[in-house]
Amino acid sequence: MRRDPVLDVRKLCKSFILHAVSGRTVVAFDDVSFSVSAGEHVALAGMSGAGKSSLLKSIYRTYRPSSGEVWLQIHAGDYVNMCALSDIEVATIRGHEIGYVSQFLRSEPRRGALDIVIKSARQRGMNEADARDAAATALQRVGIEERLWDVYTSVLSGGEKQRVNLAAGTVHPPRLLLLDEPLSALDPENRERALVLISSLSHRGVAVVSIFHDLEAIQRLATRVLVLERGHLVAERRPDELDERLTAAAR
Amino acid sequence: MALSDLIDHRESSELLDEFAKREIRRATLAAVAIPGYQVPFGSREMPVARGWGSGGLQITLAVVHDDDTVKVIDQGDDDGVNAVNLRRLVTSSTGADESSIASEATLTQSRHRIPEDGLDETSILVLQVPVPEPLRGVERDMRELARMHAEADYSRMWVSLYEDKVRNGVITQTTGYPCLVNGRYVVATTPIPRWDIPRLHNAPFLTLFGAGREKRIYAIPPYTMVEPLTFEDVPFEVENSDGACCALCGKSESFLVSLPNSTTWLCSDTDWCARQRPAT
Amino acid sequence: MSDTFTDQRFDVARLAIPDWLLKVEGLGKVYGPFDDAVINSTGSGPETAKSPLNGSIVAAWDVSFEVAPGEALGIVGESGSGKTTVLRCLAGDVTPSTGAATIRLGGSDLNMFAADAAERRRLRVDTVSVVYQDPSEGLKMNVTAGGNIAEPLTAAGWRNFAKIRMRASDLLSRTEVPLNRMDDLVRAFSGGMRQRVQIAKALANSPSVVLFDEPTTGLDASVAAGVLDLIRSLLEENRIAAVVVSHDFSVIEMLTSRCLVMHHGRIVESALTDQLLEDPHHSYTQRLVAAARS
Repeated sequence: MRRDPVLDVRKLCKSFILHAVSGRTVVAFDDVSFSVSAGEHVALAGMSGAGKSSLLKSIYRTYRPSSGEVWLQIHAGDYVNMCALSDIEVATIRGHEIGYVSQFLRSEPRRGALDIVIKSARQRGMNEADARDAAATALQRVGIEERLWDVYTSVLSGGEKQRVNLAAGTVHPPRLLLLDEPLSALDPENRERALVLISSLSHRGVAVVSIFHDLEAIQRLATRVLVLERGHLVAERRPDELDERLTAAAR
Repeated sequence: MALSDLIDHRESSELLDEFAKREIRRATLAAVAIPGYQVPFGSREMPVARGWGSGGLQITLAVVHDDDTVKVIDQGDDDGVNAVNLRRLVTSSTGADESSIASEATLTQSRHRIPEDGLDETSILVLQVPVPEPLRGVERDMRELARMHAEADYSRMWVSLYEDKVRNGVITQTTGYPCLVNGRYVVATTPIPRWDIPRLHNAPFLTLFGAGREKRIYAIPPYTMVEPLTFEDVPFEVENSDGACCALCGKSESFLVSLPNSTTWLCSDTDWCARQRPAT
Repeated sequence: MSDTFTDQRFDVARLAIPDWLLKVEGLGKVYGPFDDAVINSTGSGPETAKSPLNGSIVAAWDVSFEVAPGEALGIVGESGSGKTTVLRCLAGDVTPSTGAATIRLGGSDLNMFAADAAERRRLRVDTVSVVYQDPSEGLKMNVTAGGNIAEPLTAAGWRNFAKIRMRASDLLSRTEVPLNRMDDLVRAFSGGMRQRVQIAKALANSPSVVLFDEPTTGLDASVAAGVLDLIRSLLEENRIAAVVVSHDFSVIEMLTSRCLVMHHGRIVESALTDQLLEDPHHSYTQRLVAAARS
């Protein structure tokens, strides 16, 4: 049992009640518990539909868990249970402490790439000038050239959007980074850049929880792998113990 | 004792009965107590048509005593037809004396001008007002107008001044320039020209405004602050006639009016003009 | 499991979570006579805002929320949901039947609903601004763009013509209205431009609270997009507490971080905007989101 984890998930459950289908309940995941310390990279593995994305979203609180606790370390020694916070508290903490790169290549329409990353940096607490510098660095790090910085992200390619999201998620490294298939649209060169970036973040003490369907990425980055099957955490493995089946079939 | 002994015969020749006078006096007192506030009153029928000074006349008749001396001018002129008529009405029904010299008059009724000189602490100036509502141009609804005055919400007035300046480069209002009285109410100074406005500020005399058709009385007590509404960087300017002089007296210090279709200028205040010329 | 944590409530102040600027408590508006029975006969459950008992309309009931400076709160719902009623009560255009709406300014609290009409009007000058769906509700059509902005400025005591012009032109340029149109009558402007002028006027005295009622409804899609971008950046630049009422989820998504869902006059769900869109709980919210997604 690790001491002082950054993230401690306890008995987290999420199910959806679909009123349109006469209140049918769909279970996303059930009774999931695990913790992540600073510098650790925990990869979630499992078939598609196993509940991995739902779990990440529940940690980020885009999904509201049905029960359980999500303890997040804020300042050294201080913890909050995200499930017990008010909306505005969640919104503030998210911006400050958590980076989230979703698998959907959505970004704010009609907003420049630099602007998006600056906004992210400001939410982490940086002032305007520092945020601008950090955003520029972050975009360079993911290989987005300056000429694209003021372009609306809606006209960028899928891969470019993904890299912008990665930059926004990692500018001024957050305490906890959640990655949902962050490499899926990247060509080999940019994929490599991204892997280097994520790896360096772990070295800097960022706690990472990720989903990759890319076995090689897991093996390079992850310190632990948690296997989900039909909403349950069934096993914990070392990255080198994985086999192809567990990373099969992108969504 | 016969019934006829009980009747004060003199009263029957007066245009306003005692009740009317009392009401007008009360309205006038209220107006003096709240400088710039338009006090409604029951306007009586007068032998002048509405719009021709019935309001001013009612104030004069209510206020004047038989030991007063009355001056009446129209456009600054004692001899205009209307002025003459009004003066006769007042003096014949009240027994007051008349004069054309402002310094001799204790009460001056006027349309369109303030006498150039002669008014002091013993003087009352009564101005005839066709349109007492300064906000008439920006609002028609009576309740809204009442609210705007009550809440000192004059922003619509300021917007119209802004628009005027934007459209014309200057604020173009000539007569009836809106002024803030005693720092509280905005009044229409109609009908006097801009020239006369600065003389209302801190004046030693009492100014009463009567609007017969609109049934309002308002007042500027002596030594009251009167500020023409203007932006602090747009100075209030009075009319100027480019150095012209009066063709009769040769002076240029008074308000001059030009004759139609001519370049001749004359003093508006005929009495003042006459006193500038050597006696003939 | 781990015993390194305490269950102590986290000290919110340490994370500089902003305190509310506007707090609405139990706002209700009923047209017609009412009592508890009438109220209970309406709402989301009974699926009606009109009481079957006496025909009274419970346009809004039991509406409570807080908005902090720098936050934009959305109120979403179909027409008849009560969202516009709520906004109009806050704007002072409609008198609520019950409830309180407190503004916290400079350390003191003022319940807007308890203020008299004159005080409400003063609040509208420099504290609470409204941007209406129809620009002609918020603007004087026969006055110039600059003149419309001069109105709140002069109401707040501005008396210097040059400064008024400068402030008006700053605001117009910020709302991307061409400066050479500053002296044109608003009547001559297109819908999108009128809306921009309305927004400029609303910001004239740097209000603490801005209420938006369907700010882009009725505008062409591309025009609406520009106006939304503008509103978004203005809200981010200024620490305004904003309430955005819309039936359109894309507007809510663009502008707000938190959102209330109203149905038949009641709040049926309240959550972060992304939660509402991805994990709607209430059946009505689910219907709304599904319809928006399709």
